[in-house]
Amino acid sequence: MRDALAADARDGGRADAATIALVGLSHHTAPIELRERVYVDSASVRDTVRGVMESPAIHECVALSTCNRTEFYLHAADAASAESVAIDAVAARAGMGPGEVEAYLYHRHGYEGVLHLFRVAAGLDSLVVGEAEILGQVGDAYELGLSLPDSVGPVLHRLFQSAQAVGGTVRSETSLGRGAASIPSAAVRLAAKVFGSLEGRSAMVLGAGEMGVTTLRCLLSEGISDVLVASRTLDRARETVAQIGGRAISLEDVWEAISDVDILVTSTSAAEPVVTSDKLGPSRGQVGSPLVVLDIALPRDVEPGVGGLPGIFLYNIDDLHKVVGATEEARRAEAAPAETLVTDHAKRFWRWYRSREVGPLIRGLRAHGEAVRLAELERLLAELDGLSESDRERIEAATRRLLNKLLHPSTVAVHQAAADPNAIDFLDKLRDELRLAASSPRSESVTEEDIESSGPANGSADAESEETNEARS
Amino acid sequence: MILGLHLLALVLYAAAWVLQLRGFRGGREPGLSGVTVVGVGLAVHAAGLLLYALSYRSLPLVGLGPASSSLALFISLFVLAASVRTDLRAAGLFLLPLVLLLVGEAVIVGIEPTGRQIAFRGPWFVLHVSAIFIGYAGLAAASAAAIMYVFQFRALKRKQFGSVFGFFPALESLDRLNKVGLAVGFPALSVGLLAGWSWTLTFGRGLALDNPGTILGIVTWTAYLVAIAARSRPGPRGERAAVISAVAFLVTFVAFLALRITAREAGFFL
Repeated sequence: MRDALAADARDGGRADAATIALVGLSHHTAPIELRERVYVDSASVRDTVRGVMESPAIHECVALSTCNRTEFYLHAADAASAESVAIDAVAARAGMGPGEVEAYLYHRHGYEGVLHLFRVAAGLDSLVVGEAEILGQVGDAYELGLSLPDSVGPVLHRLFQSAQAVGGTVRSETSLGRGAASIPSAAVRLAAKVFGSLEGRSAMVLGAGEMGVTTLRCLLSEGISDVLVASRTLDRARETVAQIGGRAISLEDVWEAISDVDILVTSTSAAEPVVTSDKLGPSRGQVGSPLVVLDIALPRDVEPGVGGLPGIFLYNIDDLHKVVGATEEARRAEAAPAETLVTDHAKRFWRWYRSREVGPLIRGLRAHGEAVRLAELERLLAELDGLSESDRERIEAATRRLLNKLLHPSTVAVHQAAADPNAIDFLDKLRDELRLAASSPRSESVTEEDIESSGPANGSADAESEETNEARS
Repeated sequence: MILGLHLLALVLYAAAWVLQLRGFRGGREPGLSGVTVVGVGLAVHAAGLLLYALSYRSLPLVGLGPASSSLALFISLFVLAASVRTDLRAAGLFLLPLVLLLVGEAVIVGIEPTGRQIAFRGPWFVLHVSAIFIGYAGLAAASAAAIMYVFQFRALKRKQFGSVFGFFPALESLDRLNKVGLAVGFPALSVGLLAGWSWTLTFGRGLALDNPGTILGIVTWTAYLVAIAARSRPGPRGERAAVISAVAFLVTFVAFLALRITAREAGFFL
């Protein structure tokens, strides 16, 4: 019986000592060259995650990799093992030694890891605060994890589902995602402030630079229906058209075609202005609808005087940066309510996570108490000769009641600690104590000397308990 | 009860305007809350006027208080109709003060029948006054759109990405609201004026050009003509048409105030 109880106590101590751990690097900690090397694309994610999962300490693993961050979310037997495995994985991708790469990494475990993922999903940790793409990328990482055998279990499943829900809630309940936060989205916002809906509008891109094409893609996603691409050579324009659609035209045809265009994006590498009042004025003279000119080239492609022509709205790269700046300012003001939402959700998740280990822990606590009770009872009954059966039963019942009453506040405290992210150390210490007590041969029999010698230890336990309560309050 | 409902409507309209002002200060596009408050205010306001009609067995079209309240109702209908489109919710920023002014005036002077007998009555009178009120409300909506257009146009041209840029609708949306205001208001005003004119001709009274109501009607009709003409010129019309619309409304409003102050029978039209 006592052996079985000791085993229970050991199990209770050991049961689900696992934790959630995160190891990663991002734009906050690592330069772009390193981020590029560590980036895990969808083709290599299977091998990378499989490599991590080979460690027996890792129960579950999801790799989140974007151009700004690569992070390994792990559910593992313990934080130290998880971190060691993940650091090795990152180091292998970076082609560096674990010691070298560690300078660029951050580690979070337990509640801090949960909070980090929720902040990431909400866009609070992004380079452009509030950007929406990260939420989709978190979802993609989770989906990819699901497609790998045994990679996602109940903990990471719930963690990532909650993260996506938090991201959605933050976007719907705060203004964090509003406004234009990148140059292409600022271009769309400016055009939309002139035309309202961009559905069915026409656009022309002059010069097939990367930023011009990205801006055009952004405009296309808003419903632009007619696209013209003009470049220094017709072949170059055709190449761009092959990527994004539309029609390629030569530079000579631009001035004739521009009378039917609503939005002009210029991104050539010309040293002198390509669009001048002399050329544009006659082409747009009697056109009733406005023309938005987005000059995102450096040096500028559009002569500043063009902005003075009737019906023409001219914006250069500095103006677009101003729009982005105004958005960032507004988003910073919205960050506080978003942080509150994220923290609430992280605490809720954490309550669920810790509640999973409360059962085994309380069973372990009770088993330990019961083992001590039985040992003490056996010793007492051996010393008291001549007791009747009913007296023995009464003593046995009294010790059981005593144990129940003594354990009740501890049980309540364990339940409360499980719900409190600040009390994580309390549960870990309790688990360690139980493990130690169950493995110690003296644990089953407590002598008076034990009680006396445990004075300072009890004192420190009290102090810890007080600290925990303080942290909780 | 009629006064109570009007006071409640006044508070709700004021609350909706405050919400609009807060949105404007923050440079954010207006949310749904302001529209909801306007909707509730409109319902309460309509209930007040319905109660008036039931209590006095006449429509609230005669007398300064009832007529002001009815005109305010037509304007708030325009606000609500514009707010159905998400991008035009900001129209209330300029129209709600007008509604507040008219309802406030009605509350101050009293929402009661004048007791004075007028010769022009019956269905023709109802058509005449209702159509003219729609005409005034249409011009108010067109002008609010025009004023916002001018501000937004300048913000976009001058690259000022602050409150006006963030809160005011897109130029095309404002242009459309201006067009709808003119398209609804001008025919309605014309019908209203024709109904009045037909009545005077039928009963051999001639066109009462000294009547402040007639003068205001003609001034408003002319303002409409000017605003419509400005829109129909070729080339980029944008700011020019908007400025002319806004000035036309301003002239009408000044004419109204002048007539209210100077006309002998000012109490018997709006």
